[in-house]
Amino acid sequence: MIEFPLALLIASILGALLAGFACSTMGVFVVRMNLASIGYLMSHAAFAGAAFGLMIDIDPMIGAIIFSFATALILGPLAEKARLQSNIVIGFLFSFMIALAFIFLNYIPGQAASARALRILWGSIFSVTYNDIFLLTLLSFILMIFITIFYKELLSIMFNRKLAESSGVNTKLFYYTVLFLTGFAVSLSLRIVGGLLVFALIINPTSTAYQFFYDFKKILIFSPLIGIISCVVGFWLSVISDFPIGASIVIISALFFASAIAVSPKRRKGNGKKNKTNIRTVTL
Amino acid sequence: MKNNSNIIELQNIETIYEGENIPVIQDINLTIKSGEFLSIIGPNGAGKTTLLETINGLLSHTKGNGFVFGREILKHKSQIRKEIGYVIQNFELDPLAPFLCKDIVMSGRTGKIGTFRLVTKKDWDKVWYSMGLVGMIDFANRPIGKLSGGEFQKILLARALAQQPKILLLDEPFSNLDIASRTQVETLLNRIHEKHKITIIMVIHDLSFIPTRCNRIIVLDHGKIIMDGDKKSILKSEVIQNIFNGNGRK
Repeated sequence: MIEFPLALLIASILGALLAGFACSTMGVFVVRMNLASIGYLMSHAAFAGAAFGLMIDIDPMIGAIIFSFATALILGPLAEKARLQSNIVIGFLFSFMIALAFIFLNYIPGQAASARALRILWGSIFSVTYNDIFLLTLLSFILMIFITIFYKELLSIMFNRKLAESSGVNTKLFYYTVLFLTGFAVSLSLRIVGGLLVFALIINPTSTAYQFFYDFKKILIFSPLIGIISCVVGFWLSVISDFPIGASIVIISALFFASAIAVSPKRRKGNGKKNKTNIRTVTL
Repeated sequence: MKNNSNIIELQNIETIYEGENIPVIQDINLTIKSGEFLSIIGPNGAGKTTLLETINGLLSHTKGNGFVFGREILKHKSQIRKEIGYVIQNFELDPLAPFLCKDIVMSGRTGKIGTFRLVTKKDWDKVWYSMGLVGMIDFANRPIGKLSGGEFQKILLARALAQQPKILLLDEPFSNLDIASRTQVETLLNRIHEKHKITIIMVIHDLSFIPTRCNRIIVLDHGKIIMDGDKKSILKSEVIQNIFNGNGRK
C-alpha cells in the first residue's frame, strides 16, 4: 500500500468523487440519447488537446478543454446539417482526433513531455490539482442547477425529441448544452480517470441505474451516486493494490454493471408482460 | 398578424424536405375555422403527415404563406406550438424506457409552462384531469414501455390534452389499436370536441373509423388536395371508392 500525505489524499478522493458525479450525471443523458460513443470521442478529443497544449507549451488541461468544447460545438451542427446519424459523425471525428493527437505527440519536445501527455490517457492520482477540484466543484453545481431548472425540458427531450419540439421546447439548444457539458465533464476528469477510460465512467453507472428503475428522476439520483461510489471504491482499490486509478475505477463500475444485469428486476421473466387495459373514462 | 376567424390559413404552401428537390406537398390552399373537426385522408405517401407538421412548424414550408392563430408559422412557430397538441404516429418505444406515464403526460405541458418555470400543483391537476379524460388515471405510475399499443396511444392523447391546446393534430390515432380500443378513442375524440370545442385535425387511414363529429374531409394525393368537402359527399364520391377500394386502404 502506498503512503500519501493527508492533503494529497483528500484532494485525490475529492477529485475522484467529483469526477464520478459529473461524468455519471452526464451519462444519464448521453445513454438515453444513444450517444454512448460520445465518451470515446470526447476523451480522445481531450487527449489531442492535451498533446496540442504540450506541443505549444501551455497547460495540457487548457488544450484538453478547448478541444472538447470545439468537438461538442462541431458534433451537433455537423450531425444535423450533414443529416448523418450522430454515431457516424462521432466515428469520423474520433479517428480524426486520434490522428491529430499522434501528429501533436510527434512534435512534443522531449520524452518527459510525451510521458505527461500519455499520462492523460490513463490518469493518475498524483495529477489532481486544487484548480481541477475547484473546476469540478463548479461544474457539479452547474449540473445540479441545470437539471433542477430544466428537468421538465430534459425529460421531455429524453422521451422523444420530436414530441418535445412539437410542445414548444427548443430541443436544439438543450441537445447542444448536453454535448457541451459532457465535453466539460470529460476534460476535467481526464487527469484522474484518464482519457482511455473516462467514457466508462459516463456509461457504466448510468447503465447500472437503468437496470433498476423506470423512473427518470430515480435514475438521475442513482446514476451519480453509483458513479461516486465507483470512484471512491476504485480509488481505494488503486491505493491498496497500486493499480492505475482509471483502471481501478472502471473495474469497480464494470462489476457494478455486471451485478446489476444479473439481479435486475427489469430482466426477470414475466416482467415484460403487458398490463391489461383497464378503461375508466371520466364524465366530461 | 392576420385578424379573421380562420384559425389556420395556408396559401399556396409547398414543403420540400431538406436535401431533396421534389415537394412532398404543393399548392396547398386550406382554411380551417376554430372548432372544426376535419380528417385528412389519402394513400400512403400522399403527404398527410407532412401537412400536419407544416401546420405546427416542425417542417418549414418552402413556398407560400402559412398562418396559425393569425400568426405567420415560420416566424412564430415556437409560440404557435404551445397551443397545438400533437399526437405523432405510433413510434417504437424501448420496453425498459425509464419514464412513468404521469411524467410523459406532464411533458406535454413543458412548452406551456415555459422555460425557467417549475411545475406547480396546478400543472399536475391538468395532468390528472387529462389522464382521467382518457381513462388512464390508474396507469399514472406505470412504466410507459409496459403499455399495450392502445394504452400508449391514450397516454399520448392525454399528453396532448394536458397542454390545453386550441388545436389538436392527430396522426393516425387509431393505428395499432384493436377494434374495442378504436371505438373508445373515437368516442373520446367526439366527447373532447363536443365539450372543449377544440379544433381537431386528424390523419386517418381507415374510413370506417372517422368520428361522427368530424364534418369535413380533405383528400390528399401526390401532395395535393384533390377534394375538400363535407364528410357525406366526400365518402360517397367515386374518387374515394377508387382510391380506397371501399376497404379503407389503397
